[in-house]
Amino acid sequence: MAYRPSKRARRSFEIEPPNIAPMMNLMVVLIPLLLTSAEFVRLGVIELNLPPAATGPDGTMLNQMPIESQKKLDLTVTVTDRGFFISSSMAVLSGSAEGGPTIPLVNGAYDYRALSLKLYEIKQRAVSQFSDANHIILMAEPNVDYQTIVSTMDASRALRLPGRIESLFPDVSLSAGVF
Amino acid sequence: MAFIPSRRKQHKTGSGIVRMQLTSMMDMFTILLVFLLKTYSTHGQLINPSQDLTLPVSDVQNPPEVGLDVTVSNDWILVNGKPVEKTSNLAMINGYIVPSLQAALQRYAEEGRKLEAAYGTKFSGKVTIQGDKKLPYRLLIKVLATCGQSNFPNMRLVVYQKEG
Repeated sequence: MAYRPSKRARRSFEIEPPNIAPMMNLMVVLIPLLLTSAEFVRLGVIELNLPPAATGPDGTMLNQMPIESQKKLDLTVTVTDRGFFISSSMAVLSGSAEGGPTIPLVNGAYDYRALSLKLYEIKQRAVSQFSDANHIILMAEPNVDYQTIVSTMDASRALRLPGRIESLFPDVSLSAGVF
Repeated sequence: MAFIPSRRKQHKTGSGIVRMQLTSMMDMFTILLVFLLKTYSTHGQLINPSQDLTLPVSDVQNPPEVGLDVTVSNDWILVNGKPVEKTSNLAMINGYIVPSLQAALQRYAEEGRKLEAAYGTKFSGKVTIQGDKKLPYRLLIKVLATCGQSNFPNMRLVVYQKEG
């Protein structure tokens, strides 16, 4: 007579799941802690350094300033409700339309990309000739809003090309301009 | 007639203890933890963005710095959280200097200078400017000009960093 097959030999071992309760405790503490200190909106700052006031409010000391002997570009971008005007101390860069802005609005929006590309072109030619090839002056019409100013600054600071960022005129200053 | 309990099924029942399946929850928590650790910043918030304005968006990379805080909200101009001038009054001022703002700034500059003389903490003339993105240029330039003329030539425009 054959023996009855052993029950013990065929008993399958149940795999005990690891005890993750301590790990859970850790998570429950860590996650609220990190959530409270998390920054979801990242803030940044645009630097705008002026030389400490060299002139009185009425500009009395302007005449006594040393006359710069080097050639200056004085590149200026003027933001108007029709688009961007690019000008230097010598000339105004004209756009396609006669008397129109250098970079007109496209569908009612400012064309920052075109401005960047145009400035890149100027930068490449100016870098060897002028002493202030990092400097750009920004002017705007009274009603231009702050966001447009900031975006224009971004556009004149650097050009984003695929794979690299080309520095244009990182030294931006604002001008009170023509009111 | 009641059924007779099945003998075969009686053998199949396990130990009777039901364990919670926590594995998927652990996965989730691990991902969350990694994400939060990545966004964790060591220096905390140096600038508290004001509630009643929307800052403009920019793609600058510079991190915020500490400085005197000038806020131009829709209603008030605040210096370090204290209102000094109504924003609506700004348009009526001739010239670029806002007298009340200048007075407030010069007071802070004076304090900064005193600290520099007494304890050697350098007065940097840094000012962080928060403005609503709809703020017109004619008002913005007045605030900037006033800061520049009131011993705070190092201006920082506070913006939101663009994603990506």
